[in-house]
Amino acid sequence: MTGFKETLKDAVRQMSFRTSLDSLKKKGVQQVNVLGIDRIIALIEAAVHRSLKSRLVGVEREAVADATKAEFLRLLRSNEDLQRQKTEIERQKEIVEDEVDQLRRDLTAQQRALELKLEEGALATAARYEGENAAIAAKVGEVLRALAATGSPSIVDAEDRVMALVMDIVAGERHSADEARRALHDREVGTLQRRIKKLSESLDQTEQRLQSVAAMKNIDGGISSIYREVQGLSMADHHAGKKKELMAEIFKANLKLQKKA
Amino acid sequence: MSETKQTDEAPKKDHGVLYIGMDLGTSRTSVSASNGVRETVYSMVGYPKDVVSMKLLKKEVLFGKEALEKRLSLKLYKPLEKGVLKYTGDAAKDAEAKANLKAATDLIGEAIRLAKPRKDELVYCVIGAPAEASVKNREAIIEAARAHVDSVMLCSEPFAVAYGLDWLEDVLVIDIGAGTTDLCRMHGTMPEETDQVMFDIAGDAVDAELSRRITETCPGAQFTIHMVKDIKERYGFVGEPSERCIVELPVDGKPTPFDLTDQIRAACSILIEPILRGIQKLVASFDPQFQAKLKSRVLLAGGGSLVQGLDSAVEKAMKERLGGGKVIRIEEPVYGGANGALKIAHDMPADFWEQLK
Repeated sequence: MTGFKETLKDAVRQMSFRTSLDSLKKKGVQQVNVLGIDRIIALIEAAVHRSLKSRLVGVEREAVADATKAEFLRLLRSNEDLQRQKTEIERQKEIVEDEVDQLRRDLTAQQRALELKLEEGALATAARYEGENAAIAAKVGEVLRALAATGSPSIVDAEDRVMALVMDIVAGERHSADEARRALHDREVGTLQRRIKKLSESLDQTEQRLQSVAAMKNIDGGISSIYREVQGLSMADHHAGKKKELMAEIFKANLKLQKKA
Repeated sequence: MSETKQTDEAPKKDHGVLYIGMDLGTSRTSVSASNGVRETVYSMVGYPKDVVSMKLLKKEVLFGKEALEKRLSLKLYKPLEKGVLKYTGDAAKDAEAKANLKAATDLIGEAIRLAKPRKDELVYCVIGAPAEASVKNREAIIEAARAHVDSVMLCSEPFAVAYGLDWLEDVLVIDIGAGTTDLCRMHGTMPEETDQVMFDIAGDAVDAELSRRITETCPGAQFTIHMVKDIKERYGFVGEPSERCIVELPVDGKPTPFDLTDQIRAACSILIEPILRGIQKLVASFDPQFQAKLKSRVLLAGGGSLVQGLDSAVEKAMKERLGGGKVIRIEEPVYGGANGALKIAHDMPADFWEQLK
């Protein structure tokens, strides 16, 4: 009898649910009536006995009670099996969820890898065509993608599109080249004008200097003599006496000639 | 303002003194100066014939080789002849004499310009003139030079050569120029008229003789006196030739080689006899005690002395006629006179120069 009560207790416990006071308060429950589990069990027993006592007699009642207990216990066991199955299913569910998560992670990783490869490809293309070439390559790529998007483009259509693109690019390049050439020409003209201005200034300065030099009549392009003073005969000369006489004679002759005697 | 103007016109001569020695020759005029300059110019002056040639030449006057090269466009003057100016004394009446005097003045100015004097230096110049140049001629040279220098003196050309070499006693100088050959006996004093001999058998006479001989022996050869002068200056020799003198002369416009060895030797040899006569005269009239010394000190100078073998030929002739002698060719025949004149200018006392200003 005691064993049955415990089993019943367990069953009641299993069928009950736990809740907190805060959640009850949230539901608007301010006060609860508390009934102990032993009292509930006793009430269930008393109710069952009273029911059986009013409807069955003697052995019949005992048999029904045993059969009920047995059925109760079978149901209880069945409930336990269901509980176990539920737990197993929940475990399997968790496993499956883990697998799904893993698959999601793998997918994300593969997507990232794909994006990386695409980026690398784009970088390689950019590296292959730098600057204006990259822009042209981009335009060509754009045209080809647009053609591809139309399904099955005709050769004529493709030729027209590519020709239009090429003409557009060439015209643009030609225009840029013309602009650059014009700019270079303008720069050269500017540089030459500045040079002419400088040379004109330099010429003016040189002419002024030339005039001032020409005005300085004392400047002489001659070569300096080694003597700063009039020399005369050296007394150390071996023939000084004789030479002195000769110099005097030459002087006298010249003085006479130049009529200054 | 007027002071400044005066300064501009006559720069202060406070930088120093430049001495110039000049050999005014018939063929060449050479200068040596105390600034180290030594130059020589052919004594030729050319003036453009007309306005066209003046425009072409872009010069009013040309000198030396340039004048010779452009002579077809020029009125060419050789202002010296036989060692003296072609100036007869009456330039006011004689246009040709006037032109020659101007050419001489310009030539002397050019020679002084070649010496590159500074305008702020005193310029004192001694000009070696032919020993027997007339007073009028000397005055003309002085007048021409005074326009370009502060003070000028003339001296005998052979004397200048001897003075430059410091051979002042018992020496006989033979200066062979283009117009004249001057012989001068030095005996420690200024040479007098009796110490000098001059004759006109010199470079120009050799040119004329060579020209005559070429005409005689080279039929059809075309040449000018300037070409003959060049040939003489390149090949001139007496005695034995070191090589055959093969010269190309045009015949009917075609350059044709001629062997002129004999003609050149014969033409140059005309110098020997008169020189020997001059030596003999000066030696014979010298103090007998010093004649041997005089004969052993014969200096050969001037452009004519560049004739190869002339010193040996004269020496040989002296041995035959005078019993011996020693002839020395000076180291720089072209500048010998100018170098000597420069030395005289250097040795001349300051007050002498001042008095002649």
